[in-house]
Amino acid sequence: MPDVLPSEGSAGGPVLEIDAVTVRFGGITALDGVSMAIHPGEIVGLLGPNGAGKTTLFNAVSGFIKPEAGRVLLHGAEIQRLFPYERVAAGLGRTFQHVRLFRGLTVEENLLAAQHRHLSASPLAAMLRLRSWRRDEDEAHELVERMLDTVNLRPWRERYPWELSYGTLRFLELAAVLSLRPNVLLLDEPATGIQQKEVEALGPMLRRIRDDTGCAIFLIEHDMGLLMGTSERIYALDFGRVIAEGTPKDVSADSQVLESYLGRTRREEAAGA
Amino acid sequence: MRGTITAEDAIAEPEVRPAARRLAVRFPGLTRRRVITAGVLIAIGLIPVAVDAVSKSTFWQYIGAYIAVWAMLELSVVVITGYGGLISLMPFTFVGIGCFAAGLAVSVWGWPFWLAVPFAAAATMPISIAVGAASVRLKGLYLAIATLTFASALGETLFKWDAFTGGQAGHTIARPTLGPLDFSGGFAFYALTMAVALILIWMVHGLKSSRAGRAMLAVRDNEREAQALGINATKAKLTALVIGGALAGVGGAFYLALLGSPAPAGFQSPYVDVSSVLLVVWAVIGGIESAFGAFLGAFALISQQQVFQGAEKLFVFIGVYAALVLVVFLIFRPGGFVQVVKIQADRIRANPARGIPEAVGLVAINVFVIWLIIHFGTVASKT
Repeated sequence: MPDVLPSEGSAGGPVLEIDAVTVRFGGITALDGVSMAIHPGEIVGLLGPNGAGKTTLFNAVSGFIKPEAGRVLLHGAEIQRLFPYERVAAGLGRTFQHVRLFRGLTVEENLLAAQHRHLSASPLAAMLRLRSWRRDEDEAHELVERMLDTVNLRPWRERYPWELSYGTLRFLELAAVLSLRPNVLLLDEPATGIQQKEVEALGPMLRRIRDDTGCAIFLIEHDMGLLMGTSERIYALDFGRVIAEGTPKDVSADSQVLESYLGRTRREEAAGA
Repeated sequence: MRGTITAEDAIAEPEVRPAARRLAVRFPGLTRRRVITAGVLIAIGLIPVAVDAVSKSTFWQYIGAYIAVWAMLELSVVVITGYGGLISLMPFTFVGIGCFAAGLAVSVWGWPFWLAVPFAAAATMPISIAVGAASVRLKGLYLAIATLTFASALGETLFKWDAFTGGQAGHTIARPTLGPLDFSGGFAFYALTMAVALILIWMVHGLKSSRAGRAMLAVRDNEREAQALGINATKAKLTALVIGGALAGVGGAFYLALLGSPAPAGFQSPYVDVSSVLLVVWAVIGGIESAFGAFLGAFALISQQQVFQGAEKLFVFIGVYAALVLVVFLIFRPGGFVQVVKIQADRIRANPARGIPEAVGLVAINVFVIWLIIHFGTVASKT
């Protein structure tokens, strides 16, 4: 993906730091003092059984829920008090577990909407067709043209999201979030609901995105092949706490992880066999 | 781009007439299709003028101006509800504020009408901001109920405050003049309001394909995703409300110029709520996501009122008729008249031999329905 601008490197330290983040829903502690660090250009996996707090962590980092305690730092600056759209401006991009996008807009218009932060023309400039609006639109269309090629969505440009297969929709969402040119990309189960062939293509694609843009990728995924094969480092989460951290090999051998997640799968497999 | 002549075509094709060729080179946007469309629209626009010339009155030009003004009001609904996704049941309250503000400026402070128009637009802003603040917390039906309550509250207070409204009769104003131009005549005022309405439609249409417009549409469709893509949802809603409010304000000023006095417009409760609901209903029937839909909605609304006024005995059924039309559109053509026109235009382009008779048939059915209503309405009144 040579078209996407490289992220600005940060001097040495982690690009994303999660520091003792605690989230409670009523009496339930969803995240209990979770601390993690993602370094520039790293692909990090997040592992854990359902209800472990993985998506809650993404929501806390991207600003969709307010943590009760703790800090979130992007490039060393605290962002936990910012609105989601302000965190995007700071360099954070995320996808959702259930993709819907904007159903009233075509694929092309969805991607145009995602160029928001790169544009500047005022509503009045658009209403009066001033030159600043024309410049804005030319730039937005050019960026979208390149993005359509990058993710091979050109054949669907006039289609609406609800006309697409779930896999294509996933790629559209990925294209939209890449349009933000993030430094850190949070991907919430990108392989869910897409065909095995597309899942297999996803790993190399994520690595290519990282190589071309330099952005760090933080990945929640239940597809073990994809997670283990793509991640360079993995955090394992259970009951809102980090129970293990390390290379895929180390984490998959960790006894606590085996017990809480992989072990369960193996026991189920054994029971099924 | 079938049926269009681009500058390249004009140069390449020798059979194009030299005059047309020179025009096409000079104005590349001036395609044959656009020229034909503009010609047809101007011809339709001149129908009321021709009818009035024959019958020696200005009635149909007055109705034409009425449609133009209501198109401005419908534009407000298009921006706030169609683009912004905010279900506001108080569009006519915004109109009222524009109407009274313009009346105050012209008849009490002695401002020229042309200054009163932007003042009327600006006067709606406090209400827009108040609704915007509510829309941060309230969604969908809850916002609709909140706006309805707010409208009633304003109808009982602000619109009963004599200093603002001018009391029972209201602040009356004369039709505007501009230097040597006098817009008090039937044709002049019709042409003025229609020109303003078309300019506003053009402006609102442009908004849709812009940074701000797409932000509104994105927030309307999926607020969470919009925020994740860097869009400030609150700002997008507020922008829709301020622009929509300003359009209603401008419309209100011209509505006052049309009527001469705000009294007949009925801005007090419950009339204001009825008019607000009418605006929303006919915006949907016209095509709430489209600036052109605003015009079609206004056209249909004013036409049906005229038809039913001609059919006195059936007048009580006007609400039933509107509800029926709304339901039929919501089920079969949720995009409103705009969708109907688009589908028919595509069919004509694909196969003119079939599409044109179909279009004529559609118009004929409508004319027949109108005839039926008038026929039975007036016959019933005679017996």
